[in-house]
Amino acid sequence: MNRIQVEQANKAQFYKDTVQQHGSPLLLLDCNKIIDQFNVLSDALPNVDFFYAIKALPHPAVIKTLASLGAGFDIASSGEIDLLSSVTTAERPRTIHTHPIKRNSDIRNALRFGCTTFIIDNIWELEKFIAYRHRVGILIRVSFPNPNTKIDLSRKFGCRENEVGLLIHKAQSLGIHIKGLSFHAGSQCPTSQNHVHAINRCIAIINAIYADFGKLLSILDIGGGFPVQYTESVQTIEEFCSPIREALKNLPPHIQLIAEPGRFLSAPAMEAISTVMGKAKRGNTMWYYLDDGIYGSYSGQIFDHVTYPLTTFGDKKENEHAILAGPTCDSIDVIADDIKLPPLSIGDLIIGHQMGAYTYATATHFNLFSKAKIIAINEPVNTTNNILAFKNRKSLIS
Amino acid sequence: MNIYNETLYDSYCQQFTVDKIYFEQKTDHQHLIIFENAKFGRVMALDGIIQTTEADEFIYHEMLTHIPLLAHGNVKRVLIIGGGDGGILREVCKHSSVEQITQVEIDQQVVDMCKQYLPNHSAGAYDDARVNIVIDDGANFVLETNDKFDLIISDSTDPIGPGDVLFTSNFYANCKKCLSDDGILVTQNGVAYMQLDEVTTTATRLKPYFSDQTFYCAAVPTYIGGVMTFAWASDNATLRNQSISLIQQRFNHANIATRYYNPAIHIASFALPQYIVNALENSV
Repeated sequence: MNRIQVEQANKAQFYKDTVQQHGSPLLLLDCNKIIDQFNVLSDALPNVDFFYAIKALPHPAVIKTLASLGAGFDIASSGEIDLLSSVTTAERPRTIHTHPIKRNSDIRNALRFGCTTFIIDNIWELEKFIAYRHRVGILIRVSFPNPNTKIDLSRKFGCRENEVGLLIHKAQSLGIHIKGLSFHAGSQCPTSQNHVHAINRCIAIINAIYADFGKLLSILDIGGGFPVQYTESVQTIEEFCSPIREALKNLPPHIQLIAEPGRFLSAPAMEAISTVMGKAKRGNTMWYYLDDGIYGSYSGQIFDHVTYPLTTFGDKKENEHAILAGPTCDSIDVIADDIKLPPLSIGDLIIGHQMGAYTYATATHFNLFSKAKIIAINEPVNTTNNILAFKNRKSLIS
Repeated sequence: MNIYNETLYDSYCQQFTVDKIYFEQKTDHQHLIIFENAKFGRVMALDGIIQTTEADEFIYHEMLTHIPLLAHGNVKRVLIIGGGDGGILREVCKHSSVEQITQVEIDQQVVDMCKQYLPNHSAGAYDDARVNIVIDDGANFVLETNDKFDLIISDSTDPIGPGDVLFTSNFYANCKKCLSDDGILVTQNGVAYMQLDEVTTTATRLKPYFSDQTFYCAAVPTYIGGVMTFAWASDNATLRNQSISLIQQRFNHANIATRYYNPAIHIASFALPQYIVNALENSV
C-alpha cells in the first residue's frame, strides 16, 4: 500500500475550509465512524459486552457517542475517571478498572465513581483490596505471550497460568471475590491466533479452578487487540473474529464475555490535517516541514509502532524525492522519509488517516508547539434518547 | 424510564426509578444527585451511594439522636459532626432540655442545598436559637476546640469518600477529649451484614479511648442488606443499661413525637445479632 496518495487539488476544498475556520493543525473526529466501528465489532462478536479503552482516545465526544450506544468504559487511572465525570451522559457510565497496578487512592476514586470491578495479577495487588473486599469483584489478568503482535502486552502485566490457583486460594482466605479472568493477546494483532490460544487456556483454567476449589468464575475479559488498517493490510474484523467465535463456543455456558476495544473503535474515526509551514531543498530531496509531527499527533509512529496512510493534493504530474518532517527542532521528528511527491507549496495540506488511536493521546508539547485541536463532528445531541433505544442491550457489569 | 442504580457492591444493588431530578452536581471528584422516587420521595445519593431518603430518614435520625440523648438523661450540649441534611439537628431540637447545639459541616453549600431540596429533613431546625453552625472539617474541629459536649453525634458519609477522616483513630481520640465525663459518642457505622469489617474496625479503633464500647441497630430500608449499626462509646457503662421504666419516664418527660423510636425499641436496639457478636469477639 502506498504511504502517500496524491489526490486532485479540488478534493482539498473541504479540508481547506475546515482549516480556514478552525486553524491548523487539526484532528477531525467523526463520531458516526465510531458508531460504525462499534456496530461492526458488535456484529462480529455478538455476545460480548464492550468496555471502550479510554486511553486510546480520551475525548468527551468519543465517550458521549459510545455511552449513547450502551458501551461501558475501561478505565486505568484517576485521570480517566475525571474525564468520564466531566461528560454528561444519561446514565452513569458502566466501568471496569483494568490497570493491574493501582494506588490506594486510585481504588478509592474508582469506587466513588461506582466502579466495583478491578483487575489484579499478583498477591501484593490482591492485598490492596482487603479493605474493600465487601464491595468489589476482581478479575485476574493472565499472561499469554504473543510473539506475532506489534505490541506485546504480556511482559509487563499478567500472571502465569499456574499462578491463578494460588491467587484464588489467597483471595478466598482473604474473603475477596474473584469473579473471572482477563487477558490481553496484544495490540493491533495480525491474527487472532493468540486470542484463540488464550481463550482455550482460560477455559481449561476456569474448569480446573472449579474442580480444585469449587470456585465458580463467571466472567472472561478477552481484552482488545482488534486490528485496523494502516499502511499494511490486515484481516477484516469478520475474518479476525470468526476463529474467536469458534473458540468461545467451548466456554462453559454460564460465562459472560467482556472486551476492551480501544484502537478498533477510535482509530478510523479521526483524520489529521497538517499544513506545510516551510520547505527546503537539500541535495536532491525536498524537505517539507509540517505544523504537526512525531512529537504531536504522529507520536504513534514512535510509541504505537504504526505508520499512517497520508494524502496530499495536487494536479502536477512530476514527482520528486521528498521528506515530510514535523515542526520541532529534533531530527527524529520526521513523519515520512524517502517518498515521492509532486511539488508542494507552503500552505498546502497533508492529511493523515486512521489517526484516532494513540495519537492525540500520546502527543507532547515538546518545543511548546501546541497539540493539534480536535474538532468533533456528528456528536450525539441528546444521549437520553439513544440510551432508551439501546437500553435492552445486555449489560453484564454495572 | 430513568433508573438510578446504587453502586455500593459489585454483586448486589438496589435500583430506583427516577421520576424527576431536582439537583445534580458533578465535579471531578464528586457526584451528588437528588431525585424523586415514587416509593421513597426525595432521594439523595453521593458517589453512587444512597445517603438519605424522605420516606425512611426518620428511622436513622431518630435512632442516632434519641437513643443517646435519653440514655444519658442530662444532655445540655450536643455536637453534631456532618449531618448537613439537618435531620439529626431536627431531632435534637425536639429536646427542650438541650441548651446548646453545635453542628460542624464541612461545606455550607451542602446545608443550603439540603434546605432547598430536602426541606423536610431540617424542617426549620436551622432557625432554632440554640443552634450554632460551624463550617469546618469535623476532624479538625474536634482537634482544635476547647469546648466540652455531653453528646457527639457523627452523621458522616461512608468511609470511602469525603467522610473518611471521621472513621480514624485520631478522630475518635479527639472526640473523647471534648466529651464531658459521662459523655457519649455515637456514629453511623454501616450495614454490618454487608460490610462487617466496618464494625470490627470501628470497635478496634474506639476501644483504646473508651471503657465502654458497643453498637446498636436499626433497619433502614434504603441502607440495604440488613440492620444498620450505630457505634456507641462512653466511659459510663450504665448509660446503655438503663431500665425501660427510666427510659419511659425520660421519654414521657421529653414529650416528643416519634415514628420509629420508643422505649422498647431503645432497649432492644442494643441486642446484637450473633454474627456481629462473633465478629467483635474475634476482632479483639
